[in-house]
Amino acid sequence: MAAIRTSGLTKQYGDLTAVDDLDLEVREGEVFGFLGPNGAGKSTTINTLLDFTRPTAGSATVLGYDSHEDADEISPRVGVLPEGFDCYPRLTGRRHIEFAIETKDADDDPDELLERVGLAPDDRSRRAGEYSTGMRQRLATAMALVGDPDLLIMDEPSSGLDPHGIREMQNLVRREADSGTTVFFSSHILEHVEAVCDRIGVLNDGTLVAVDTIEGLRESIGGDATMRLALDTPTERARKVAASIEGVTSAAVSGQTLECSVVDPAAKATVIVELERAGATIRDVRIEEVSLESLFTTLTNGEDERAHHSGQNPETAADSVLKNPDSEVAE
Amino acid sequence: MTAHIGTVARKDFSDAGRSKLLWVLVGLLVVIVAVGYVAIWSTIDDVSGAEVLGFLGFPLQVVLPVAALIVGYMAVVGERRSGSIKLLLGLPPNRTDVVFGKLLGRTAVVVVAVALAFVLSLVLFGSVPFVDWLAFGALTILFGVTFVGIAVGVSASVSSRGRSMALVVGVYMVLVALWELLTAGSYYLLYDEGPPLEPETWYLLLDQFNPIFAYTNLASSVVEGDIFPFQFQYGLESIEAYQLTPAERYAGSGDAPFFLQEWFGLVVLVVWLVVPVAIGYYRFQRAEL
Repeated sequence: MAAIRTSGLTKQYGDLTAVDDLDLEVREGEVFGFLGPNGAGKSTTINTLLDFTRPTAGSATVLGYDSHEDADEISPRVGVLPEGFDCYPRLTGRRHIEFAIETKDADDDPDELLERVGLAPDDRSRRAGEYSTGMRQRLATAMALVGDPDLLIMDEPSSGLDPHGIREMQNLVRREADSGTTVFFSSHILEHVEAVCDRIGVLNDGTLVAVDTIEGLRESIGGDATMRLALDTPTERARKVAASIEGVTSAAVSGQTLECSVVDPAAKATVIVELERAGATIRDVRIEEVSLESLFTTLTNGEDERAHHSGQNPETAADSVLKNPDSEVAE
Repeated sequence: MTAHIGTVARKDFSDAGRSKLLWVLVGLLVVIVAVGYVAIWSTIDDVSGAEVLGFLGFPLQVVLPVAALIVGYMAVVGERRSGSIKLLLGLPPNRTDVVFGKLLGRTAVVVVAVALAFVLSLVLFGSVPFVDWLAFGALTILFGVTFVGIAVGVSASVSSRGRSMALVVGVYMVLVALWELLTAGSYYLLYDEGPPLEPETWYLLLDQFNPIFAYTNLASSVVEGDIFPFQFQYGLESIEAYQLTPAERYAGSGDAPFFLQEWFGLVVLVVWLVVPVAIGYYRFQRAEL
């Protein structure tokens, strides 16, 4: 049984088609990243799953239950971190958790849950109205974890969190996944998806443009990695050795450096071993992966400038040829 | 299906119960009762506790609806605007639980306020006839709850705070300021004359469908002395007509039909409670959040 399945899901707001004939399947036990620029239709899709909005056409099931007809069967079994929510400003953090526990008929310890999401003991008895955005996000995450749900649906879980908070959130998602929970979360920020997801689906203009593992996506879009080997004496022989290895699409010498384009990740080790065997002395190896950033830009056509997020790793720049030159860094 | 109404109501009560505005309203209610009592007690000699109870009806019919409408008009739409409704509906409670849980939670606030005011009246005037006091208190609670129902129904029907406020104010204006214009005015248009002392029966039925009339009529029969409704009067009816109950104005022979009897006021109050909540429930079930 699929944890989430949508069939021909369509949602129109007047003339605007927010979600267009979407067929999506999230398997049980996986961490599925739902990626796309702002306005791609991610939240609309999630709101349909939660019965906050009703589809214009098509349908969706969550844990096998129809998202509208059987909504009452779904909510006890899932944990939800919605987008654009607010807490009850006059109630304390702990009271929020107690309320969630009461509705889910669970026996969790509020403090243990708040500990897991990193809400400090002092803050737990403060009113949520005094909380920062990040603290609200943590509180709502703790509410979602109440009752050990089979499925976590999180809409932009990293919004409002600082880099440290985002890492904690990723660890939390991983731990939940390891304990058997299916996690479905949306993001417009690539790194967050890359770090924790088993599979990702990329949504653009209400349409699913790709569903695959990150490795699979790299391969299918022709994402070769480039190996740069600094050799003592680069020779034509070394170039030929490298070029003959399966998984290496091309090799070229420039100065002291041998550059190889590698399709199969496993071929990288072979390149090194074979060059050593051929008598070359390797002084340095640098590998440049195709960044998800450029994959994402390719998939979403670089249309939506708001959505781009620059992964702050130094290798991104080299691979940014695909990137829309006008795009600005968001977030 | 409705297993979470109580949970939502308790949360709503503890949430609303921490709102300063609501306690200001409660305080206002209590103060009005106290001031009213003291004023009457000190200015009129030889007033009995039972009579004093009657005087209470006049300020209550004005203050209680306003307080109840303010308590309720943000109940559902407020959560929709802030987004906390998503947190709530992401948990097991469904939309039915939200509407009726909110209704119960806000009802509890008003019940507490009225109960405090009445207990205070008992403390101030230990000599009030207890049965009258109890009946009057229960009736006043029903009156307050009716307006909570109107407000919660409106708040579940609309998607913005502004619309909720406009509708609630509009309803109150119709009941207090425009009622005679709408009912007696229609009569005037139909028959070329304002309603006489013994008008057509349909008019009497329509006219008494104002929940404030229902409350004052019922209250007059519970306590000593008459409680007159606070209304804008346009002179479309004669002065005597204002002082008579619908049953007394019945033109036909024999007893007035059941819907002109005093107890029918209870039906009127319940209708004003149920219909807005039903409309709000229906619309909220179909709303896009």
